[in-house]
Amino acid sequence: MFQYITEALAVLLANRTRSFLTALGLIIGVMAVISIQVLGAGMSGAVSGVLGQFNDHSFILSVARQPNFIRATMSVRDIERVKANVPNVVDGMPVGGVPRVVTIGKKYARLIVGGASDERFATTPIQYGRNFTIDEIATGANVAILNDRAETKLNPDGANPVGQSVRIGDRRLVIVGVYQKPKTGIVPSFAFGDVLIPYTTYERQIARGFKYGQAQFFIADATRTQETEDAATAYLKSLKVKGVLYRTTDRKTLSGSIDSIFAVLTLVVALIGAVSLVVAGIGILNIMLVSVAERTREIGLRKAIGATRFQILAQFFIEALLLSAIGCAIGLVLGLGIGGLVNALLLVQISGVVAPIPWVRSVLIATGFATLVTLAFGTYPAYRAASLDPIEALRYE
Amino acid sequence: MNSISAHAVIDLNNVTKTYASGELSVQALRGVTFSIQPGEYVAIMGPSGSGKSTLMNLLGALDRPTTGTYKLDGTDVASLNDNELAGIRLKKLGFIFQGFNLLARTSATKNVALPLFYAGLSPKLRNDAAIARLKEVGLGDRLTHKPNELSGGQQQRVAIARALVNDPAVLLADEPTGNLDTQTSEEIMALFEKLNAAGRTIIMVTHDEDVAHHAKRIVRVRDGLVVADELTNKRAVS
Repeated sequence: MFQYITEALAVLLANRTRSFLTALGLIIGVMAVISIQVLGAGMSGAVSGVLGQFNDHSFILSVARQPNFIRATMSVRDIERVKANVPNVVDGMPVGGVPRVVTIGKKYARLIVGGASDERFATTPIQYGRNFTIDEIATGANVAILNDRAETKLNPDGANPVGQSVRIGDRRLVIVGVYQKPKTGIVPSFAFGDVLIPYTTYERQIARGFKYGQAQFFIADATRTQETEDAATAYLKSLKVKGVLYRTTDRKTLSGSIDSIFAVLTLVVALIGAVSLVVAGIGILNIMLVSVAERTREIGLRKAIGATRFQILAQFFIEALLLSAIGCAIGLVLGLGIGGLVNALLLVQISGVVAPIPWVRSVLIATGFATLVTLAFGTYPAYRAASLDPIEALRYE
Repeated sequence: MNSISAHAVIDLNNVTKTYASGELSVQALRGVTFSIQPGEYVAIMGPSGSGKSTLMNLLGALDRPTTGTYKLDGTDVASLNDNELAGIRLKKLGFIFQGFNLLARTSATKNVALPLFYAGLSPKLRNDAAIARLKEVGLGDRLTHKPNELSGGQQQRVAIARALVNDPAVLLADEPTGNLDTQTSEEIMALFEKLNAAGRTIIMVTHDEDVAHHAKRIVRVRDGLVVADELTNKRAVS
């Protein structure tokens, strides 16, 4: 068996150009499929990374259309009324921020100050310290959490600033936490602002009487998200003038729309993969048949000097197998390379998530391709070669 | 005569071969009987269409007779299946062709070693045997050359070395000088005579009288029958 492999390898190497051209279709096909596999893994990693910032016990309610072109129509009072009257809603806060000069020690910068809720609804991981407590929210405590941008601007030496005081305008607050550098994403983070303070504090001290275009609501039962969204929307409509439309966004609707895009993409890729498999296979079939025809005299000679049918069959089959294996191996390497490169350059940049390369699946696909193509398209030429009559074959011009 | 016949390496008895294509059937051989003893050097001659190619294919165990018996080194070829025929060709026969039939882009040594691959020998044994045979035909300095780097005469020598590599009972040469010029033909004929002198049984098919007269015996075929079977003067010389 080993001798057949070395013999086949010698034949393939003696005809490098022909071998390469034969394998080319397969190389491209496998490369496409494998790189898409790697990209797919990267994309689902990216989506999970992006959606990971999305708390599934909350939804965003936005004003979608209004009759009088006033930008924001939700007041804090409206939000409080939704909280009080819509079942399953346990908390709610306006979404928004205002630019303020923020100072730590002698460092100051103009940053966005926004409201946030307590630890139950936190989405951005904490680097130092902690999230706000329920008590701090309820009492409107003078506490703050910095994001990475605020931290770099105000605390460039990187030491843990928790416990220091921060000044916003003429008010002093105590830093209780610092967020990790968030994964930049296609879905905005819910932490609006660079310096976050309890939304109650924000309303009372920074943005008294402001109106908002967006509000975030927190719910107790995540399985009833849709129902709660509908109830909140209906309730707000009953309060407001006619013609105002509201739109809700939650983790499910977001991931749902991304999922459906993915489903289409996966289908298209699967089709391309199937087509490239068939095209590559037909290419191999064709070139193998040409090769058998071209080598008719050689086959006749091999039979004349004593090769049996089976030996010829085995030899040509192993040649096809080896060619497919080499083609698939090259395609595998190229596919992993290209997929990995695109992942690293594009998807990791978007999501910050390095998805694991699907090694096992890629190798299985490549091996499957090689086996399938050989079985489907290598058997017949090998059979044709083995069936040649030595007398006819030797006479072949 | 009977005792000699018992040792014949080739023994054809009333062999016929009929090719049927559709409703038409052509009788290429119509009852051929002759035998060849070990160590003989026989030329088979005949015009085209005489059945000499058919005879050659039968002698070479590439085909089976329609009727009659053909014993090659004691084995009745007519009763063998395809695999057994391949085995006979591998062990008992060495083929030399007009067009050399060497594998392109393959070294002389690898070409010569090819039959031993099918015999299942290890690469080392194959290589050693091939080199020994190439030296025997005077190509000891062309071991790694590929066919396109060799002259026609050298290519035919490689083919002869390949035919010899499995130590066959009979060498079968089909127009071995057909593609060669006169001087190279003489060289190949000299090599044949040397091999015959060393005890090789050689059967050569040719239509060239001059070439045929290098053999010790000429079997003439016409219309599917042996019309003459004569010794040449070479017989007396050796």
